[in-house]
Amino acid sequence: MLTKIALRNIFRNRRRSAITLAVIVFGAVGLILFGGYKAITFRGLRESTIRRIGHLQVFGAGASKAESQKPLEYGLENAAAIRREIERDPRVRTTAAQITLMGLISNGDKSETYIATAVEPEKERAANAHRLVSGSELPNNESDAVLIGKGLATAMKAKPGDYLTLLTTTVTGSLNAMDVRVAGIMTTGVREYDDRAIKMPIAGAQQLLQTNKIEKLLVFLHKTEDTAAVDATIHQKYAKTLETKSWPQLASFYHQVVMLYNGIFGFLGLIVFGTVVFSVANTIVMSVFERTREIGTLLSVGTTRGKVWRMFFAEGFLIGVIGGLLGIIAGVVLAKLINNGNVMLPPPPGYTRGYPLQILLETPVLVTSFVISVITATLSAIVPAWKASRMKIVDALGHI
Amino acid sequence: MNKQSVVQLTAIDKSYPLGRVVVRALSGVSLDIAHGDFIALAGPSGSGKTTLLNLIGCIDKPDRGHVLIDGVDVTSVPLHRLAATRRDVLGFVFQTFNLIPVLTAWENVEYPLLLRGVGRRERRERVTRWLELVGLADQAKQRPDQLSGGQRQRVAIARAMAGDPKLVIADEPTANLDSETGARILDLLGDINATTGCTFVFSTHDAALIERAERVIRIRDGRIASHETATVAA
Repeated sequence: MLTKIALRNIFRNRRRSAITLAVIVFGAVGLILFGGYKAITFRGLRESTIRRIGHLQVFGAGASKAESQKPLEYGLENAAAIRREIERDPRVRTTAAQITLMGLISNGDKSETYIATAVEPEKERAANAHRLVSGSELPNNESDAVLIGKGLATAMKAKPGDYLTLLTTTVTGSLNAMDVRVAGIMTTGVREYDDRAIKMPIAGAQQLLQTNKIEKLLVFLHKTEDTAAVDATIHQKYAKTLETKSWPQLASFYHQVVMLYNGIFGFLGLIVFGTVVFSVANTIVMSVFERTREIGTLLSVGTTRGKVWRMFFAEGFLIGVIGGLLGIIAGVVLAKLINNGNVMLPPPPGYTRGYPLQILLETPVLVTSFVISVITATLSAIVPAWKASRMKIVDALGHI
Repeated sequence: MNKQSVVQLTAIDKSYPLGRVVVRALSGVSLDIAHGDFIALAGPSGSGKTTLLNLIGCIDKPDRGHVLIDGVDVTSVPLHRLAATRRDVLGFVFQTFNLIPVLTAWENVEYPLLLRGVGRRERRERVTRWLELVGLADQAKQRPDQLSGGQRQRVAIARAMAGDPKLVIADEPTANLDSETGARILDLLGDINATTGCTFVFSTHDAALIERAERVIRIRDGRIASHETATVAA
């Protein structure tokens, strides 16, 4: 009966309840939209990071502890055998060899520093880690072909088909130079990286560095959740000869974004929490004030303080449940409208490309917004409900 | 205490702060109310009638003296611990009806039975019986705002009686009704008193109503001025 009274009282003053519910719905929608945006951003960033760096990276033993004096000092010599062994694991989708090197690039008139990533062309194309601006992708069997970043191409006044010279330190410490053909011009989306970036075939890098080694092996898995398990398996097999690093250890940018978004989400949650608390508390306080005589009547006919408290507490809870459910409906509808609306966001700082605004409607986000709505509204009712239950009956009955 | 007493008040004093002034509402009041009594508390406004009813109804405490309800001294028990006494022993009828606005007539009558944990079938029987007795069987689904003042007070009487109380306290039960409706309400209370033997104590300053009481207790300036029978009072 007390729940019935509580529920009916919500609809008794419809305008006030509608305003309160609107505040809760607004809060729940905010949590759903930002939570969904956060979820899709994290997932997108995680997967694009993994596409670039792999789920795991395998190095020669000592690479993480010692500061290498020369290029590829801790590189992998027998990479082919290790790859075959790692790729036998059914959880592993593929592996890719990689070398990073730095040096100077020259067009004869001008020199700039570069950061080159030597890759296996076929796997690099599949990874889709960059976008081609002009020219073509790295060919499979041409060791002196390179892709250069958009900014570097501008600095070098280079276009596809042009020849440039790369200079670097070899594994023995001497200098070596090599002429390369610009196959294409690419962008990774990060302006600063595009100003220095080169991608070249492993064979070309090995020729320039005068070695047969590779720097590291990137391991790509079918499922990201298997990362720790596969890492443990590799570590068990090659504890003495190899070292591994998993993507969470390598993806510092991803973690910074996660921390930033979680901070924003937490702050937004606090604002929503505060708004809902004040709104629902105000509604219950008004309700208690208007129903003072009713409370006196309930107490005088034998209702205990606890039951009066529970009645107003139930009112807050029910407002939260109704508001939370309406919030989920409104949030889902709005998220679908946004997802189908092809809304483009401007490029983030340091990026050259904008991206479409998408909201990921995951169950945990919906459940979280509902639970926060219910808990917040219920907590808001505690103090007014307590005050209602502590009223002096004589004063309450005499209230006009 | 008399075996027949349902209420016994002994040397009751009660004062209220009113701004900076302390108003003495009751002074040295002693009173015995027996089972089956139909008592009117008469007196002008501010004489202390409502304060006396509040003390009998266990919704207020005296400053001094003792209050025994159905043989139990409730004076030293905190008011919030007297909810069971109010629920099981007492029934209330208010001047302003005080029905729960969001509940129907039926649900208002049913409410105290739910507090007592009365089973569904018995609840249905009692609510039906009492709504029929007060002449509102066909208004059971109406909410208070859909009923007239007289009908609301009838629902309030049914609510007070449905729990089968030993004592019903009615503070000015006819003050918000026209004289004809008020007389009918008093007739109803009198009939219930005659048929059930339930004790009634009501306050009024309406001479026409006072004459219907078996016993009249006149209160003036917080003291009992006289105990009278109905014929003397009239």
